Amino acid sequence: MNESQIKTIGIPRGLMFYRNGRLWKKFFEALGFDCVISEKSNREILNEGMEWAIDETCLPFKMYLGHVLSLIGKCDAIFVPRMGGYTKQEKMCTRYEALPDLVENVFREKHVHILSVSYDWYDKTTEEQVYIELGQKLGKTKKAAKKAYHEARKYQAKIFKERERRMEGLLEQKGTKILLAGHPYVLHDAFMGQELARILRGMGAEVVFTDDMDRDTALKRSYHFSKVMPWLINREITGALMLLRQKVDGIVMISAYPCGPDALVNDMLVRKIKDVPVLQLTLDAQNGTAGVETRLESFMDIIQYQKAGGYGNKH
Amino acid sequence: MKKKAYIGIDIGSISTKGVVIDENHTFLAESYLWTEGNPTQATKNVLHELESQMDMDQYTIVAAGTTGSARKLVGTMIGAQVVKNEITAHAVGTTTLHPDVRTILEIGGQDSKIICVENGVAVDYAMNTLCAAGTGAFLSSQAHRLGVAVEDFGEIALKAKRAAPVAARCTVFAESDLVHKLQVGYPKDEIIAGLCKAVAGNYLNNVAKGKKIIAPVVFQGGVSKNAGVVKMFEQELNMPVIVDEKGHLMGAFGIAVLAKESGLSREFSFDVADMEFSTREVTCGKCANHCEIICVYRENALIDSWGNRCERGTIAR
Repeated sequence: MNESQIKTIGIPRGLMFYRNGRLWKKFFEALGFDCVISEKSNREILNEGMEWAIDETCLPFKMYLGHVLSLIGKCDAIFVPRMGGYTKQEKMCTRYEALPDLVENVFREKHVHILSVSYDWYDKTTEEQVYIELGQKLGKTKKAAKKAYHEARKYQAKIFKERERRMEGLLEQKGTKILLAGHPYVLHDAFMGQELARILRGMGAEVVFTDDMDRDTALKRSYHFSKVMPWLINREITGALMLLRQKVDGIVMISAYPCGPDALVNDMLVRKIKDVPVLQLTLDAQNGTAGVETRLESFMDIIQYQKAGGYGNKH
Repeated sequence: MKKKAYIGIDIGSISTKGVVIDENHTFLAESYLWTEGNPTQATKNVLHELESQMDMDQYTIVAAGTTGSARKLVGTMIGAQVVKNEITAHAVGTTTLHPDVRTILEIGGQDSKIICVENGVAVDYAMNTLCAAGTGAFLSSQAHRLGVAVEDFGEIALKAKRAAPVAARCTVFAESDLVHKLQVGYPKDEIIAGLCKAVAGNYLNNVAKGKKIIAPVVFQGGVSKNAGVVKMFEQELNMPVIVDEKGHLMGAFGIAVLAKESGLSREFSFDVADMEFSTREVTCGKCANHCEIICVYRENALIDSWGNRCERGTIAR
């Protein structure tokens, strides 16, 4: 099928979907395409993804492959963006740099039609530019593509603003406030971070996320912490942690095994953040949340008994 | 009038512990048995032992608590008022007996943890990750390999002239290293001392990584009964390490104290030990998550269920 015959575009609900998914959907819809977004993550999607992935890759990437697989046959093309990063200090992990190639190769027998955009820190291009090119590739005029991009961009900004406002509201609440810190695709995946958020809320906590924070503000703040850290998303997490840590009662850092950048950055963060209780959790494809529940419950106890001034066992 | 008493049960992966205390936190009864993969039966056995030590004409048990990995199941079974994680239970138990404690080291059958305490309340903790290196299970399997009872490890280690260097980072590596040391002719006692040192070193480098260890230090959990490991901790930390005589019961004790402090009360009867309990695992088919739901039955009647991620998986009583 050539690009001009595409009517329906599939969007896998994984990785950067949790950062730019709204922009993608709005962009394609504004250009007159139908979008199919894969279902929320569940065990079956993960199991399918694991069958296709190599062992050593990370949990979110395995999940992503499962999402791609679930879209095959339901759309004319699947949107798999490639992101190298924006500057030398704001790069993405290698999974993103290679994402369309990885997907194409993993599913080579299935002949998946992949649509992509690509930006890199060493190319002189902009987000706007790559989306205009994508629109033109799909047979639309430059003008229409530009309009669609800006519409989508505006829509995404509005959603982010709403989320930030919601977070500010939660931070005003009286209860125990927990900040979940991590990559957006870990924090908001139904099978990963959302499960932890559910458990925490069940224990009476108000849950906010590092990516509720305005990205640019967080990114800027991260340079006070490190001038040389090369990863964009870890920078945003770091910046948000620095800006929000005084406003919460505890921080839960979630990493998906075996994330390289997290392994380096989180260890550094734990050593620097001494004024707020921090819990580090690493998620993998293990069954059940029993171990995680014990850790979260213990963590909540520490915060709550601290507030109460003791266990009541002193007489 | 009968005096008030409180019961606490700590059901771990390897052992099940139970205590009954009075209002002044005095131990009235205690029991320590192997779980043997059957938390329900282990709890019944513990309850029978506790009952035999209790003078029920003098005391009424007014509240119950459970902790440990099977806390929820056993909590449902005995109708506990307080069901809490083992970190909190250990912190409460230890700070009750040692109000000035600052650091609690704990090595159990499969878990190891460190709890940092300030002003009598836990402020930070860490637990081993999914890997069980350097826990009681590791020592037991090495004891088996060496043909020595694990209970004798401490004594043998103390008598050894030196500790053989054993790779401590990973159980698998430690094991092959151990075989190698045996084959090149290291005496058994030095290898045992080396294993104890490896356990202490592994704990300090992994579980306690980055945590400040401040005296007084209390060491507990099953492995604290091993005098060899205690000595290695004292050498490594260069400070005295307190091992409480009741250290192996600290979780059960702590949860009994929490049951007492909860203010909740409902008379507890040892009759539950003779009731029939069973569990059944149901896989929910209502979505692709396939949650494993555990149903608990008393005398064939469903009393509780859990494990579902959403309300669609709720099983009605």
